[in-house]
Amino acid sequence: MRHQVNIQVNNKSVAVERFLRVTRHRGFELVNMSLASADTHYRVNLELESDRPLYLLTQQLTKLVEVDTVEVVSTQQRNASA
Amino acid sequence: MTGAELLIDLLAKHGVKEVFGYPGGAIMPIYDALYGAPVKHYLTRHEQGAGFAAVGYARSTGKLGVCFATSGPGATNLITSLADAMMDSVPLLAITGQVPTAAIGSDAFQEVDVLGMSLSCTKHSYMVERAEDLAEILQEAMHLAMSGRPGPVLVDIPKDIQLAQVTYQPWLAADDYKPEFCQAQLAIANELLQSASKPLAYVGGGVQAADAQNELMDFLNKTQMPVVSTLKALGSVLPEYDYDLGMLGMHGGKAANLAVQDCDLLVCIGARFDDRVTGNLAKFAANAKVIHLDIDAAEVGKRKPVDASLVADLKDSLTELTTPLTQSDWRAHCDKMNADFAWRYDYPGELVYAPYLLNKLSQLMPTTGVVCCDVGQHQMWVAQHMKFSHPSNHLSSGGAGTMGFGLPAAIGAQIARPQDFVVTVSGDGSIMMNIQELATIRRNNLPVKILVIDNQRLGMVRQWQQLFFDGRYSETNLSDNPDFVALAAVFGIPGETITRADQVDSAVEKMVASNGPYILHACIDDKENVWPLVPPGAANDQMLTEVAK
Repeated sequence: MRHQVNIQVNNKSVAVERFLRVTRHRGFELVNMSLASADTHYRVNLELESDRPLYLLTQQLTKLVEVDTVEVVSTQQRNASA
Repeated sequence: MTGAELLIDLLAKHGVKEVFGYPGGAIMPIYDALYGAPVKHYLTRHEQGAGFAAVGYARSTGKLGVCFATSGPGATNLITSLADAMMDSVPLLAITGQVPTAAIGSDAFQEVDVLGMSLSCTKHSYMVERAEDLAEILQEAMHLAMSGRPGPVLVDIPKDIQLAQVTYQPWLAADDYKPEFCQAQLAIANELLQSASKPLAYVGGGVQAADAQNELMDFLNKTQMPVVSTLKALGSVLPEYDYDLGMLGMHGGKAANLAVQDCDLLVCIGARFDDRVTGNLAKFAANAKVIHLDIDAAEVGKRKPVDASLVADLKDSLTELTTPLTQSDWRAHCDKMNADFAWRYDYPGELVYAPYLLNKLSQLMPTTGVVCCDVGQHQMWVAQHMKFSHPSNHLSSGGAGTMGFGLPAAIGAQIARPQDFVVTVSGDGSIMMNIQELATIRRNNLPVKILVIDNQRLGMVRQWQQLFFDGRYSETNLSDNPDFVALAAVFGIPGETITRADQVDSAVEKMVASNGPYILHACIDDKENVWPLVPPGAANDQMLTEVAK
């Protein structure tokens, strides 16, 4: 499955390392990422692929102290036309 | 005051009376601030020893464990204890010194990116970048370690910030988040409880973390529900409870594993369906509905789908469950399994039988005592054959399975609970992993008892080689072990070696009665195995009980 997830995190550089580490470790491949700095936060859009259920990742991301919000934008079958 | 003085002051303000650590260049200002301070520092002989002593301190009391290490190798030596604390949800604060801010990133002497290393083995971690942030970070770190699902938190403090002038600023948690369970889920859970014919409680380490033993026992006493425990939960169910089936999983008892496979409702209380517990997950409690109680939402449905979940503090959720009396035929069935599959200690032969020895120790030592373990066969025998009245009395490295855990954990437990009997049970492999901590026992004259169960092998690996690797015993022969009693004697610790079954009773009595530190070295048959054993990939009712002929 391919997923689009938006997260908002504190704009500390280690916060980016932290959610990327969790994403990899929990079995989600990063396909695309954009990051924008806004005041005290980064707004991050992640495009991810995995056969694992997405909630296994979102629940872990939600636990990170520096992560404020996790929003699932879309989920679609891999290779499906956009 | 300096940043270093602020740290010690804050620890004292938060009731931290004892810390464990090892000094070095980048943490010298903190050690200077410790000099003559109200917080007592215990010098271990390796930073991993400090980390595990802090874990033992925390697990035996429920309080925050604190450890210090210097930058570079000091910090890397702490990492295993942080990983252990992460897997077992232990509240730990690790303070590491770091090279001065201006030197960070220059590959300075003893510089390692500790913050980067900490990401996978801490609940949270910080590197202090500005002196004015220090007070808030330290207070937040202590709060995080203890709140919600506890865990290790690391604060890396550059040397210049330790030396900088700072001011104390009180800090309060912005939102002391306390999850509240969904009422609709509660209704489903209570309906499942009412309709179940063969309910079973499956208890994990969350009961200790939530300090919810009373609530658990209240629930069990009202429902008379049979119960199984994970390794970490042992002691949560009081030994006198009639329907306690003991530990489940790879080396669980037959009654526990068969009950799980047979139940129609599994009430998971602060556990996480670990692979060593479930065996083949698809076949684990395959016919049961599942209610999952946990403070960590990420554990719900992580490995096994649930029918109802209560994400909350167990003290709050357990008391909301209805308590229908469990049907008598299911209770009687479990009771009969307990009797049919009771452990036997009538071992034939003249050699020391480790299960008998441990059962004897359990009978003779005070019920308020603490038993620490290392990892391997002896660890499973402790879990199978010793009784505990509280999970803080059984310190065993569960999720991480860290050899070398036992001796320093026992040091931490003995310092935390100086009036209590503390024994560490180790194997001849594990004891050598942190043997340097015998010096910490001597330095502080700690009355820690040490039981080394010696089969001259890395026994659990040898057992797997015998069962699953065609008897190819690669690197598991330890027949060149040192003389452990002589080794302990160098550190001023008396003891004895036993080799025969008829020596066991008096040797255990002597160890329990000894006033100071003591080592009992028990030599056992090198071919002894831990039974039952659920082979990898098998269902929990496919237990091996002997080597195939």
